[in-house]
Amino acid sequence: MELLPTIPSRTETLRAWKAQGGGVAAVLPIHYPRALLRAFGLLPVEVWGPPRVDPAPGAAHLQPYVCSIVGNALSFLLSGGLDGTDVIVVPHACDSLQGLGSLLLDFVRPRQPVFPFYLPRGRRESDLQFLTEEFRALYGKLAAATGRAPSEAELMESIRREEEADGLLTELHRRRRALPLTDIAFYRLVRAREYLPAEAFSALARAVLDAPPTDPRAGVPILLSGIVPEPMALLDAVAEMGGVVVADDLACCGRRLYPSGASPDPFRRMAERILNGPPDPTRGSPIAERLRHLVGMARETGARGVVFYDVKFCEPELFDLPLLRRGLQEAGLPSVHIEVDLNDPLSGQTLTRIEAFLEMVLTLPPPPSAAGEG
Amino acid sequence: MNPIAALRYGWNVNVLGPAVLRLQRWQAQRRPARWDTRYLAPPLRIAPRTKELVARHWLAGRYASGYRKVAWVTSGAPVELLKALDFYVLYPENHAAICGTARLAVDIASEAEGAGYSRDLCSYARTDIGAVLSGKTPVGRLPKPDVLFACTNICQTVLFWYRVLAEYFGAPLVLIDTPFVYTEEAAEHAVRYVRRQLEEAVPVLERIAGKRLDERKLRRVGLLSKRASELWLEILQRCRHRPAPLSVFDQFIQMAPIVEMRGDPETVDFYAALLKEVDERIAAGIGAVKNERKRVLWDNLPIWYRLRYLAEFLAERGVAVVASTYTNAWGELAPLIDPDDLWESMARTYIYPILNRGTGHKLRTMRQMVEEYGLDGAILHSDRSCKPYSIGQMDQRDRLIRELGVPALLLEADHNDFRVFAEEQAATRLAAFVEMLG
Repeated sequence: MELLPTIPSRTETLRAWKAQGGGVAAVLPIHYPRALLRAFGLLPVEVWGPPRVDPAPGAAHLQPYVCSIVGNALSFLLSGGLDGTDVIVVPHACDSLQGLGSLLLDFVRPRQPVFPFYLPRGRRESDLQFLTEEFRALYGKLAAATGRAPSEAELMESIRREEEADGLLTELHRRRRALPLTDIAFYRLVRAREYLPAEAFSALARAVLDAPPTDPRAGVPILLSGIVPEPMALLDAVAEMGGVVVADDLACCGRRLYPSGASPDPFRRMAERILNGPPDPTRGSPIAERLRHLVGMARETGARGVVFYDVKFCEPELFDLPLLRRGLQEAGLPSVHIEVDLNDPLSGQTLTRIEAFLEMVLTLPPPPSAAGEG
Repeated sequence: MNPIAALRYGWNVNVLGPAVLRLQRWQAQRRPARWDTRYLAPPLRIAPRTKELVARHWLAGRYASGYRKVAWVTSGAPVELLKALDFYVLYPENHAAICGTARLAVDIASEAEGAGYSRDLCSYARTDIGAVLSGKTPVGRLPKPDVLFACTNICQTVLFWYRVLAEYFGAPLVLIDTPFVYTEEAAEHAVRYVRRQLEEAVPVLERIAGKRLDERKLRRVGLLSKRASELWLEILQRCRHRPAPLSVFDQFIQMAPIVEMRGDPETVDFYAALLKEVDERIAAGIGAVKNERKRVLWDNLPIWYRLRYLAEFLAERGVAVVASTYTNAWGELAPLIDPDDLWESMARTYIYPILNRGTGHKLRTMRQMVEEYGLDGAILHSDRSCKPYSIGQMDQRDRLIRELGVPALLLEADHNDFRVFAEEQAATRLAAFVEMLG
């Protein structure tokens, strides 16, 4: 069933990129202008934790009530995990990432220059103007750090490459159930967008999309919401329990299916793309909009329930949860909430809860106008 | 305006309420001090007036619906716009703090937790959402908001929290988003962004208020806001005196008007009176702590449910907590408010609160306070409910110890949720800290 082209690892990708004389930008979650970094010859490599690192170095700077994505990122940096990178970019996604950016600038002071930037929490014209100007400011900092000054045409070319990759990424998500990939293989592929150059990702995506479609995978169709599906073994476990992930609202995946921009100004276009992305609490999207989005996705994909898979202490997720779950319930979509720490292995308790949830979902009538089930 | 609501408001807020509150003040003035006066100065004479002023504010809120438009506001929001449009302004954070001080916060927050709000969320937010869901409140009744007005200059939490309130009330949410200032100066495009949002908020607020914004009135409110903030800063700076006439525990209680009644003439009068009393204390040699041996800094929000405990524990050992980055935040920006250039100065004022600035800036503020107030140590309240204030404290503590030679203690707690406060452990750590002070 599986027809996954070989995906280069992060290490291989970085080594190859560096060998060509390119620079690497370590980028913290969630939203950032990939095209801008690439125009400077910097390959964005995202740092979602990573999971399972020794948390001790970060614990010397951060209290235990800070989420493990931020704690692990700092530990990873302090233990040399980002030594191969040339700059660190910290988008402002929440108070914890704000704190991390500030700590890096003021106290930790890594070898690499640190570039935090702010993401507006609305979608008004003033938000768009601000983000456009914020990207111009980031351009100035990157120019000073790299000694390069990409032209407007180079920026537009870089944007075009990223838009193409994001278009293919969206198509992968849309056709996921008929692709010849298991869930874990699908997420390995789409999460390769976190570090592969856009053109390399596009080539991989095309190869998969061009493969003959298969019958939709069987299983209890579920929608996965949260930040990051770690440990990835979760996806295999879900499959073994008879579940199939048919859509997601994950910060690292489905919330970053950016549409193409429209503006001829490259900075505004990059801002448009991010602000017009799917709803996300870290960009201030109203809860009602998130609910509509989740219900709409479930209707389109036939999802019978939603698994909220959150990293502990994640305020943006936790605030929305009660109203989202209530709204989903009213729409005939049961849900379950699971909290994890990135350093914990997949627990038996988590698996039992997911298994019980899948069994429970099967006992309920399908939600109205669901597209189908496995 | 509903005429019955107007009558109800007039009778309760302007006639009956003030009479009852005056009586309560009279009684309070005759009540013996509740805090231990063996170690602490007698209560401030103004304390019953503070209580009356705050109670009157909440009384007005109780009867506001149908008579005045109501705005629920974050504590760092540019309230001048709302005041100039005659909104009744309610601060959920202050309400939560009142619940915390009355030790009702956990009971009320449990209502939110029962509805699915995690205990890992800010305890102010849980208290407030719990009050909305259950109607439980020590202030009588909370009026429903006609508008929610959130400014991100204190945290992103307020935005998540107000998005929840927007769903419960179906009220419009007006956002003033203030980009975080990582370096010493805010970028000019960030200031322009804040200014644009302030200007864009006006037609929305005017529509809800049903009236046009009068620029002259806005200027008057701006002046009052500036004057009250200046007076508050002067009061705090009097604590450079030895012995300090106020402790931060006094400041935490006396700061309510500067937070929730900024822009009102009564607030200016109140702080002028407080300043006078503070000066009288200095002239009479009265210190907030009777035997002031050591002077320390408090960082972060108060631990509302243990104010008295902490005040007495430290005072008994001759330790006066005389300065706080938190209370200072409500005065330090006073010089930035320029009533003659209000829009621009509001944009700058509201982008620069200490919580919207970097961890290094806070350390510089702490260092400056250590020098100016002659401090011997620092207590950094590591507040589980306030990540933006707390992240950075571990490095700040280390720098204070290493670079200034000042003992500094990280005290784990939560501003409203006493379930995470381990009193015995806190007492042990505080006692060890006091020993280090010498």
